Amino acid sequence: MSAPVAPRASIEVGDAWDAIEACYARGWTDGLPVVPPTEALVDRMLAGGPWSPGDVLLHEPVRDRAVTAEKAAINAVMAGCRPEYFPVVGAALQAIGDPTFMLHGPATSTGGSALMVIVNGPAVGWLELNGGANLFGPGARANATIGRTLRLVLLNCLDCRPGVLDRSTQGWPGKYSLCFAEDEAASPWEPLSVSRGVPAGRSAVTVYAAESGHNVLSHGTGDPERLLTCFADALAGLGSLSPGRSVIVFAPEHAQHLRRAGWTRQRVQAWLYAHAWRSLADLKRAGKIEPAVYTNPELVAWIYRDAPGGRPEPPPGPEDADRVTPGDETVRVHRGLGPDDILLTVGGGAAGGHSAFFPSWSRGRSVPFVTKEVPA
Amino acid sequence: MTRILDPTLSDAAAPAALPRAPRPRALRGLTVGLLANGKSNGMALLDGIAERLRERHGIGEVVRAAKTNASAPVSEEEVERLAKRCAVVVTAIGD
Repeated sequence: MSAPVAPRASIEVGDAWDAIEACYARGWTDGLPVVPPTEALVDRMLAGGPWSPGDVLLHEPVRDRAVTAEKAAINAVMAGCRPEYFPVVGAALQAIGDPTFMLHGPATSTGGSALMVIVNGPAVGWLELNGGANLFGPGARANATIGRTLRLVLLNCLDCRPGVLDRSTQGWPGKYSLCFAEDEAASPWEPLSVSRGVPAGRSAVTVYAAESGHNVLSHGTGDPERLLTCFADALAGLGSLSPGRSVIVFAPEHAQHLRRAGWTRQRVQAWLYAHAWRSLADLKRAGKIEPAVYTNPELVAWIYRDAPGGRPEPPPGPEDADRVTPGDETVRVHRGLGPDDILLTVGGGAAGGHSAFFPSWSRGRSVPFVTKEVPA
Repeated sequence: MTRILDPTLSDAAAPAALPRAPRPRALRGLTVGLLANGKSNGMALLDGIAERLRERHGIGEVVRAAKTNASAPVSEEEVERLAKRCAVVVTAIGD
């Protein structure tokens, strides 16, 4: 799909400082200074990717907005990307624009999610993307600027400005940028992208609407079940329990324990799903079951998915939302709908038992993981 | 002097403009559609609005519809159904 290319809208500014201030004055930044997007820089950015200026990289259907490669390139320059990052930027925009990702929700919701981008393949080396120490923190240009480009596109092209279309109750710092590489060498498993159907040896991005991460701290055991107990407990926290998805980024130290024990990706996913649950009684006591839950067939199915004897008869109604019955103690409500809702990846410094769990945006099903190949 | 490019869609083609439907002068006896955005309390809010409209303006029948997912566009079928049956439609988000 390609949109007609209009003459380039532009403004005249004085020196570099004036240009930076002009971008602030027009609301074109995320709060940090941007690189002034001169025509020459934008043309160099476009030349870094395989797209024509009018190619649509992202179409948001709810508000019918189309983001062309030209607009993506302007925002990539502003974010501080080098032209060689642009194929990854474009693939990430295509991923969040995939119709199944339903970007309107995570981009605007009170939940305030960040757009997580996990990169696999040779692009990681070429672009010096960080999958090692401090991978979520500052320091690596590609991590910082590729993720920042997505946010600038949301701000500038989709009008997702705080208090306007971005109605995040709190948001979180990952909304500035949340892009990192999988540490494929430290992973006990095939690359994440390969597990999601991309041929080995190709570069790919996987995107996810992420709430803020939880540190999962464990230094005391190499036993997989004891170690994973800490993760299951984090997944089942009442504050974030939902039928939604999960991302776990295992620190290399934790990944090594799983490798030594020979646990496959599928076994870890299945174990975590089986152990990440709360009783329906616990959920009711904590006020997690809103009356409206019982009018939503999907949520009712989630609650009673693993209940002994299935859903009770007569079916519960809104009046049952906070009425704890003895049977509710034996109903296990799991995080997500199955093991595939738990995405496992690996990253971080060689030292330290610090992994991370990122709950999905939304108290409902959220949006799926989407993986796209990066064009060569 | 430096020239910098506009990162917004200010210069992009506007989404296809649709003609506005004629506005009824009064609501008495008219069929009113309620389109909830799919969040948990959208319909509760709209039901309250319909009740007020009935009290104050004597509206007729009420047709209810809800998006299946708040993040997705409303389906063409729902739009068609509401357009065929209703004189006006009220939409709301209610979380």
